[in-house]
Amino acid sequence: MMLIQALLIATWVVIAFIDEETLQFQLMRPIVTGPIVGLILGDLGTGLAVGAAIELMFIGVVFVGTAVPPDACIAASVATAFAVYTKTGVETAVALALPIAMIGQVISTIKYTVVNVAFHKWTDREASKGNSRGVLFSLLLPPLANIVLYGIPVFLAVYFGSDYITSLINLLPETFIDGLAIGGGMIGAVGFALLLTTLKGKGLWPYFIIGFISSSFLGLNMLAIGLISAVCCGLHAYFTNAKNVV
Amino acid sequence: METKVKKTTKERLTKKELWAIFRRCFLVRAHNDFEKFHAGGFINALVPVFDKYYPNTEDKAKAMMRHSELFLTHPQLEAWTVGIAASMEERLAIDGDIDQDSIQSVKTALMGPIAALGDSLINGTARPLLAGIACSLAIQGSTIGIWLFVIIMGSISVINRYTGVFIGYKKGSEFISDIHESGIIYRLTDLASVAAYTIIGGFIPGVVSFSLPFTYEVGGEVISVQDNLNALIPGLLPLCLTLLMFFFIKKKKINPLILMFTVLAIGVVGHYVGIL
Repeated sequence: MMLIQALLIATWVVIAFIDEETLQFQLMRPIVTGPIVGLILGDLGTGLAVGAAIELMFIGVVFVGTAVPPDACIAASVATAFAVYTKTGVETAVALALPIAMIGQVISTIKYTVVNVAFHKWTDREASKGNSRGVLFSLLLPPLANIVLYGIPVFLAVYFGSDYITSLINLLPETFIDGLAIGGGMIGAVGFALLLTTLKGKGLWPYFIIGFISSSFLGLNMLAIGLISAVCCGLHAYFTNAKNVV
Repeated sequence: METKVKKTTKERLTKKELWAIFRRCFLVRAHNDFEKFHAGGFINALVPVFDKYYPNTEDKAKAMMRHSELFLTHPQLEAWTVGIAASMEERLAIDGDIDQDSIQSVKTALMGPIAALGDSLINGTARPLLAGIACSLAIQGSTIGIWLFVIIMGSISVINRYTGVFIGYKKGSEFISDIHESGIIYRLTDLASVAAYTIIGGFIPGVVSFSLPFTYEVGGEVISVQDNLNALIPGLLPLCLTLLMFFFIKKKKINPLILMFTVLAIGVVGHYVGIL
């Protein structure tokens, strides 16, 4: 891996994390980060395939409250880099994604329980002095901590790790990697289950079944599912409005 | 003497100041932590209000510290609480006919409903839907879905904050009684959940992928169990797996992370012994 490529990947990851904490244009999602890393390494095709595969693994993963989810952005960036570098493709990337995401999760936990607690105390200090400018700075600077928290680890992982990972993958039996990839394809179920638990779902299972039938039996694509969900909303709104029920 | 003159300013918040609040709304979760979450970001978002009405630093500090308690809701729709709090702070400073504590209680009352709405609308509906479409196009080698994903999600983020600050400010605390009477937030949350349930149900067969390799022979013809299953109910296995996971998380309260690793291990072991 070339130095400049590793630096660019790390820079992108930092940008994506800053985006997540400020603008929220969703740059940290694997479907964005994967192709960008692919582009940096000159293989957009693999980037697209890996980005999509990892996005689908994490599509429903939403942790609420004080739980930190496995980090999809770190997983996508590092796994895409390894997949392109080792030329082993999507399977390896999917196999590596969750273990890498766990490392990101550890970093995030440190960020939320130690680093940001300290930044928050700074804000309180400035607020208790009535210092407007100080309050603003205490919020503008913390996103830069992502350089140390995520940028440097990602740089080290892709710059120095790529060669190790190649030999590691060669070392592991093929059935193991394939098995991990199969498991990766099943992880989406945990994500969706998790997403369902965060929603207010009393009496909404018929809609779930409508969605399922539309794609499984009728073979409709995702855009069509989206349109059907809009129709379901309209019907639900109509029939739950007391004015319309005779 | 001069500060006293300034202090009694009766001027309402200007457009310019509201724009400043809007910009600061993008920083609400800049240092989100597990002690007070967005509290510091909320103080920062209201700084233009404090600067205007409390030129005296001591008063300003007091006003800021009123907002230093734990606050957590959906980061984008949080702008509504910011807008409403701005209008209440303005009323407190100009007319003084509301109680300081009422600002805090309005914020607290809004936290839960707004979080539920944001979660079902953005995490449950918009993001999975657009990301899913982007993925299916990406697999075919097209980037158009990704552009749409970023542009639409970005627009939602900006529009949520704009409407939150400007309409929230305009409606002020009346909005609270409004939402309680008409139940609009709860209704929107319900509708977003309807969409989310439909989408999740529809995405399961495409997103959760695994199949059984078993085959059996009938009259010299090799028949695969998976093909039989597909002829019966396509996507039955992914559906069952998802519902099983739902049961484990919801009823058995098992940590989702443990489930993820279990699933991964099942993949490895299952493939090794030949059942997956």
